[in-house]
Amino acid sequence: MHTSVAPAVETEQLTVRYGKLTAVDRLDLTARPGEILGLLGPNGAGKTSVIRALTTIVPVASGSATIAGHQLSDPRAVRASIGVLPESNGYPGAQNAPAYLRYYGQLFGLDRSEAERRAQRLLQQMSLGGNDNPVGTFSRGMRQRLGLARALINEPAVLFLDEPTLGLDPAGQSDILAQLTRAAVEDHTCVILCSHLLDEVERVCDRVAIMDHASIVATGTVDDVIANAGVGGRGRVRVAPEAISAATAALGDCPAVLSTSFDNTRPGDLDIDLAATAHPARQVLSALLAAGIEPRAFDLQGARLSDAFLALTTNETPT
Amino acid sequence: MTATTPTSVRTWTSPAGWSTVARQEIGELWLSSKGLAVLFGYSLLLALLAYIASADAGINLLDARESVGVIVQTAIGLGTLAALVVSADAISGERERGTLEALLVTPVSRRSLVIGKLVAATTMWVATLVVALPFVAVMADGPGVAGDAILVLVIAGGLVAAALTALGLAISSIAMSNRVSLAAAVAVLLVLAAPSQLPGVKANSALGSVLIKANPVSAGLKMANNVLVDQQPWTDQTAYLISPIVAAVALTALAVTLSKRLELGGAR
Repeated sequence: MHTSVAPAVETEQLTVRYGKLTAVDRLDLTARPGEILGLLGPNGAGKTSVIRALTTIVPVASGSATIAGHQLSDPRAVRASIGVLPESNGYPGAQNAPAYLRYYGQLFGLDRSEAERRAQRLLQQMSLGGNDNPVGTFSRGMRQRLGLARALINEPAVLFLDEPTLGLDPAGQSDILAQLTRAAVEDHTCVILCSHLLDEVERVCDRVAIMDHASIVATGTVDDVIANAGVGGRGRVRVAPEAISAATAALGDCPAVLSTSFDNTRPGDLDIDLAATAHPARQVLSALLAAGIEPRAFDLQGARLSDAFLALTTNETPT
Repeated sequence: MTATTPTSVRTWTSPAGWSTVARQEIGELWLSSKGLAVLFGYSLLLALLAYIASADAGINLLDARESVGVIVQTAIGLGTLAALVVSADAISGERERGTLEALLVTPVSRRSLVIGKLVAATTMWVATLVVALPFVAVMADGPGVAGDAILVLVIAGGLVAAALTALGLAISSIAMSNRVSLAAAVAVLLVLAAPSQLPGVKANSALGSVLIKANPVSAGLKMANNVLVDQQPWTDQTAYLISPIVAAVALTALAVTLSKRLELGGAR
């Protein structure tokens, strides 16, 4: 018997309206437990509205959604199953971090001792342990880690993060990404990550969904989305100078390669125009190796998620 | 064959309700400087007024009973204002500080959030009452109306404060900004307090009397004046308690009802 795990998030024709403005238009989206799904799109595309609808903050105009097995029509059960770090999350200035987390733990129905235990564990995990200073004295990075700890206090099945690394330095970004990856891998938490930082999305997300004008325009793995977006790229491979003709011939038969060219001033370097396809680097290197040519260097340019994003989305939409 | 297993086996207990919110809010109010600063200002004003009211005739033109009436009315007015300011900040302040969304995504009901905040804001009135009681007791001891003065302060003041605290919270739950909430709440208090400033002749007219009795603030203040200054018996004052009681119940119900529509951005 094959056993499948039910989706952590599943929406069907989900629509959100603010008056006459349709913020989310018939959204179909699925995310599995333990999966990190990047929700991308230009400003005003509807990402935050999706999160607010799925976290029961804004009402749904039509369609349906299930979060951790609970329908949105049962908001308290949904809220008990989720953790949320909103984009512009505020913090109490005078309270210290343990008291802040303890309070939220109690709001989720934990008794004081259990809330305290989880608070201390999460603070240690977020490198905030032993810090009893008021939250008002924390740096932005510390606050974001505290916000993530707050979102995890109820051990949620689904974690919604809206621009969690915005304004953080590289070390702060890395900390947050490591924590959300840990939550997905170790706790099997489904993470829905909204971010404009496409490099980090490429790095941590299992799948992405790109929104534009209230609708999803592409969904799948990063490679799939890049391939389906019809964006090629360029590459440069270095082989032994005497193998340049053989390499040109080998790559001529490779479906990932549109054309090749070389410059005599750089002997052994072959410039390649790549087709919009999945795993172009793998195809190029495989073609060379199959022809018995050993690449000495390979540099892939373009064909990144950012190229696909720009190809799939239009200019910023009004909010 | 495919079988579906539940996504989450994580369980949760029934979330704590308004009492958790109230404890948190009370702690924030009284362990931060906000509540203590308001109470300190209130104490200073009351002490200054008591000093002037108890001074000799050179600077005080009121007799002893009138002085007690002024102290009690001031204690009610300022105590109510303090509680109103706290409640008017309760939700719009969270909205403005960006802390409301995190609260709204917890399983605690909107109603519990509002009730917890209402209870916390009410402690501001209780604190002002505790500060005012010694002043009132000492001032009223001379003319022998200490018991009446304390009763008026507790009953009339308590009802007026309950009504306006709930009103402040109702405004706060729909106001899009803290500034709007505070301005609207104080404006309402000023409008409600205006009839108590009617000249005696107008206040004693049939229309004036109805206006004063229908308005919870002016009714409470007028009752204080009737009992403490004009020495009218308590049994004649029940009509002045009707509007404060009705307002306290109705505005609390309004605040709780509006909690169901509590939105992140305020009322659209």
